[in-house]
Order: sequence, then structure tokens, then C-alpha cells
Amino acid sequence: MEKAHLTNLMKKIQKDRDELAFSEIFDFFAPKVNAYFIQNNIKFESSEELTQEVLSTVWVKSNLYEPEKSALSTWIFTIARNKKIDFYRKNSKIDFREEDIRDFLYQDKEVDPVEESETNKQIEQINNQLNEQQKIMIKMNFFENKSHKKIAEELEIPLGTVKSRIRHILKNVQKMLV
Amino acid sequence: MNGTVVKNQLIFDFASGILGPAKSIFASTYLQLNSSASRLSNTFEGILGDNLMNNVDIAPKSLKYSDCINNDTIKAEHPVKDPITSFFGDLNNLNWKQVYKGFNEFTASIEDKDELKLIKMDPGVSVPLHSHGGKEYILVLEGSFRDEYGEYSKGDIQINDQKIKHTPIASKDTGCVCLSITEKDVIFFGKYGSFLNLFTFIKSFFKQK
Repeated sequence: MEKAHLTNLMKKIQKDRDELAFSEIFDFFAPKVNAYFIQNNIKFESSEELTQEVLSTVWVKSNLYEPEKSALSTWIFTIARNKKIDFYRKNSKIDFREEDIRDFLYQDKEVDPVEESETNKQIEQINNQLNEQQKIMIKMNFFENKSHKKIAEELEIPLGTVKSRIRHILKNVQKMLV
Repeated sequence: MNGTVVKNQLIFDFASGILGPAKSIFASTYLQLNSSASRLSNTFEGILGDNLMNNVDIAPKSLKYSDCINNDTIKAEHPVKDPITSFFGDLNNLNWKQVYKGFNEFTASIEDKDELKLIKMDPGVSVPLHSHGGKEYILVLEGSFRDEYGEYSKGDIQINDQKIKHTPIASKDTGCVCLSITEKDVIFFGKYGSFLNLFTFIKSFFKQK
């Protein structure tokens, strides 16, 4: 699925509350979001509930999405991540939700088109420069939130190597962002 | 310690959603006030968004798209307040505790291993030379302060660890208000050092109760 196509579907939802466009977005993202929760150690039943919350948010708060600012996948990722945070806190009995605060960061900000295209270029550049193993490590560490120990076990490399490689990747990412 | 690495770690951890409540509030405020931090966070979220885009599919068993359209538990309202105001309310109405003259703090009641505090220093007030048992993160919300390492103003962040001893002084014109995260209590040196250390020691007893 093309990013541009997904953005167009989203624009149809924003403009016309187009349910058909939403069903296409749902079909594409629901299985990926559901997988994200399972990768983050959330059991199947809960993952499905959370997936429903994420996709409902996409529909209900569709006008919060700014196509000039980020890819649709980025926006949906941040919604899923926020649901994950709240789920973990609820389960560890921490009575603290600041979803509003996290949402605040994505609203009403002036978009500087030059800066935004700069950001998109940087993302592409970083993706091009990372090799396959580095990409896998970023995914395991920051997307699936696996511990360094778990990563070492799964990739069958020493723990020290995992730590130093991740540090190296982050350093390079920072360099590319300067 | 390389401050940039720790700062960026905070941003990466925020983007991946693994920060505890205290650090999460701290990081949101940092991203709101500091545009270069916010850009780094956007870029990293973009990378994680690409990961979602290319993720494997595990289809939900019984969920249909219509279940999401007819779900009225999600409300459409948008938050309108910045992180600090929505969390602490009006800073002028807080029940500030005076630690000593010109130095006030307000500790947030959050269940977390990290302590989140607001610190208010009157113009020209300084903190006695001290170092830190664990890491301390300071974010300037209003005004500015300086110490042996430089000057810090709105949106700047300073991260201190055991190795750093410093004497922060609030700006003579504006004073400063900061948000801080402490992982463990600070250790004081100098004239009032032993007294202040005793104070933090006693305070820790009350905390345990």
C-alpha cells in the first residue's frame, strides 16, 4: 500500500466521513496495530480491544491528523503507543493517564513546510543508511520494546555486542539529524 | 557524562512509550518548549511509524471496521492546555514549600520511582554546591539560571549525575522556574552541606512511611 494512497483515504474521511475509505484504512492497519500490541507482550483479547480503541480514535479524531506534518502511519503509531502506555499503567495499578497531554503535542502546532519536508527527508535518509541488522535492532528495541537481554538471546549474539551496537546506531542517527 | 546522549535517550524512550509517568510529563514539556527536541522526536516517531507500516499482520478475530465507527467511548474533544497547566494548574496557586529563603519547591504526587518537582528560585538566589546521588534532570520553564557549566534558559535541559558538582544561580533579572526529575536524593557540600544532607536523610524516612 502506498503512503500517498493512505493519506488520500484519510482526507476523504476528514472531508466526507467516507466509511468506505475508513474500511480500507481499517483493513490495512488493524492487523498491524494488533500485531504491535502482541509484540509488546499484550495478550490477544486485550490486543483486540486496544486495536478497536486505536482505529476508533482514527475515525473519531480524524481531523487531528495533519497530512502535511507526518505520514498516516506515524500518526497511527503514536495513537497505538499511547494506548499501550495507558494499558500498562492500568495493569500495574498506576492511576495516572495523561493522554490529553500527549495529544496536545500533536495539535495546533504551526507547520513549517520547509522543516517538515526536512524531517521526511531525514527519515528516508536514516532508513536508507541503516543496514538490515540495524533496522531489526531498532525494531526490537524501540518498536517491540524488548530488553537488550532478550534481543541478545533472539539474535544469538552477546549482550555486550547488542548494547554497543544499539549505542552505535543511536549515535549515527543523531549525527544524521544534525 | 555526555549530556546529548542522555537527552536523546529521553526523547527516544518517550517516542517508544516506555517512560514512567514522571519522566513522561517531563519529556512532554521538554518537547513542547524545545523545537529541536520536538523535531528529533517527530523523526524518530516517523521511523517507528515506518515499522508499523511494514509490520507483520495478525488479524483481530472478531473486530470489524463498523465496530470502530460506532464506538462512542472515544470523544472528539481536543485538549487545549499545555502539559504543565493541565497537570499542575496555575503555578501561582500552588502550595509551594519554602526550602530556604528564595528557594521554593512543589513535589507532584505521582506514583513513580522518579520524583517530579517544580522549583522556583527568586532573582539572584543560588543553590549551595552539591552533587547528585542519582541522575537529575532540570528543564527551565521560565527565566534562566547559570552554573559552572553554562547558562540555561526556557526550553533548555540540564542533566546531572554523581560526577557533577555545581552551584546554580538564578538570573538576577527574572529568577527561574524549573521542572525537575530526581532519581535519588542530592548530596550537598560546603557550609550548610551537612545540615542539608541530614534534612534529605530525614525526609527520606518520612517518604518511606
